[in-house]
Amino acid sequence: MQIKELTKQYDGKTVVDSVSFEIPKGKVLSLIGPNGAGKSTVMGILSRLIARDSGLVDFKGRDITRWKSRDLSKKLAILTQTNHIQMKLTVRELVTFGRFPYSGNRITAKDEEIINRAIRYMELEPFEHQFIDELSGGQRQRAYIAMVIAQDTEYVLLDEPTNNLDIYHATNMMKIVRRLCDELGKTVILVLHEINYAAFYSDYICAFVNGRIAKFGTVKEVMTSEVLSSIYQVDFKIMEIQGKPLSIYY
Amino acid sequence: MNMAYRKNIRKLILLSLLALAAAVAYMTVEVNFSNEKLLGYAMKIRSPKLAVMLITSFAIGGASIVFQSVINNTIVTPCLLGMNSLYTLIHTAVVFTVGTGSALASNSNLSFAVDLLIMGAAATLIYSYLFKKTKHNVLYVLLIGTVLTSFFSSIQSTLIRVMDPNEYDTLLNTLVASFSNINSEIIILSVVLLAAIVFFLRKDLALLDVLTLGKEQAINLGVDYDRSIRRLLLGVTLCIAVATAMVGPISFLGLIIANLSRQLLKTYRHPQLILGSALFGMAVLVGGQLLVEHVFTYTVPVSVFITVGGGIYFLYLLLTNRRS
Repeated sequence: MQIKELTKQYDGKTVVDSVSFEIPKGKVLSLIGPNGAGKSTVMGILSRLIARDSGLVDFKGRDITRWKSRDLSKKLAILTQTNHIQMKLTVRELVTFGRFPYSGNRITAKDEEIINRAIRYMELEPFEHQFIDELSGGQRQRAYIAMVIAQDTEYVLLDEPTNNLDIYHATNMMKIVRRLCDELGKTVILVLHEINYAAFYSDYICAFVNGRIAKFGTVKEVMTSEVLSSIYQVDFKIMEIQGKPLSIYY
Repeated sequence: MNMAYRKNIRKLILLSLLALAAAVAYMTVEVNFSNEKLLGYAMKIRSPKLAVMLITSFAIGGASIVFQSVINNTIVTPCLLGMNSLYTLIHTAVVFTVGTGSALASNSNLSFAVDLLIMGAAATLIYSYLFKKTKHNVLYVLLIGTVLTSFFSSIQSTLIRVMDPNEYDTLLNTLVASFSNINSEIIILSVVLLAAIVFFLRKDLALLDVLTLGKEQAINLGVDYDRSIRRLLLGVTLCIAVATAMVGPISFLGLIIANLSRQLLKTYRHPQLILGSALFGMAVLVGGQLLVEHVFTYTVPVSVFITVGGGIYFLYLLLTNRRS
């Protein structure tokens, strides 16, 4: 997936300013940056929820807007934070929706098998028949991830998956992200606010400032006190834990 | 999952039996079976009414469920689309300009055609064109509907203020929902129109389950969200328009039957919900009409029951929703 000269304006204010980068396949890429830096807008454009003004998102040799939505949904899954369902829906029924791009409303035996595997993978069997709105925040998040797994896509786009989760659930969420990449071979792109999660669990980091890319590189390249201080305008110290750079800011 | 599914099928069968019982009771209560002529007369009067009620239940019941799912809110009623007040305005304007004696007011086929034409055109303009203009924000739909409702009602009340009192008296009768005196041409045309709407929307209707997951999830699962929502909304408005043109302002019924269906079935599966809603509609309408005809001997129209019952039920829904 290649992003070229992406630009987006809101009421004359440029929020994404000719952004270009390439998404490394089979890796975890985190988009970070201060509020209003444009990372969520870039994510929105990649996940076809926001229309861009100009530029190109090349996905498998074809621009993302030229894909049929149905075909794209078999290659690229998105998960946002605005998951508000009015319906009474059980975990299993939610996960079943992941097979919609393939089978529509008629679920085949093969689909059932994939759904079972996704539920087992996310350890949701005990809650399988519970309603989504009766679950805790962490369990609900896992149910949605199970749906994404059932969707069986190469790419997974997550918009602030740790938002509104406590440390325990947020850390578990990041471990799941790692497993999606390492065990299931998916390319995961996520927007994160917490830079240490980005540092510890991703392979690459893309840092945004004012709608432009301030730094794109491996975790080690981005996680230096100079780079981070210039992005966030506060002082940073970088430490190393388990061979990975972590930052302290004050 | 399968158990809940089987349970719902059982509930739906029971509900069908209830609707069927209401229909049978309606057709047979106080009918003289020994006299062939009287029997034939009763059937001739009652069967078109029953047919109209069945069609109305399906149109309003189905449209209400779809409308609620599109708006993603279970306490909205398709009343908000403004078709009731448009109907009232059209009829008032006709009587006001050409009088009750004219063919436009007295010929029911003609007035049905006029209603349908104006309401269909308004529906297409508002809920297809304006919806696109407002960038597919469903909240604008509700806002537009509410504004239009008061706009139409204001014009209508201005007209009746300066109207001849005798004309007004006659007009008032047509402004109340009624199942009597509906020609078979109108019934057949309505069925054809509703079937056509369902046929053109069959693909979008299959997406309803996914649409209720919300915009982002629907797009994630490969649904052309804006297009489907627009088409469904237009279909809902047209269904309501057909039903209203046929029997008069009745879409408030939708709120009751759609929510009864949701409460009973507790599912997201739309085929079940729509069927449940239509069956509830039949039971309520036919049962209500039975009361109107045989207990109250036509002193109270059925819409009074619907409005009173619906109002109380609506309050109940609001209060219980608040608590949860």
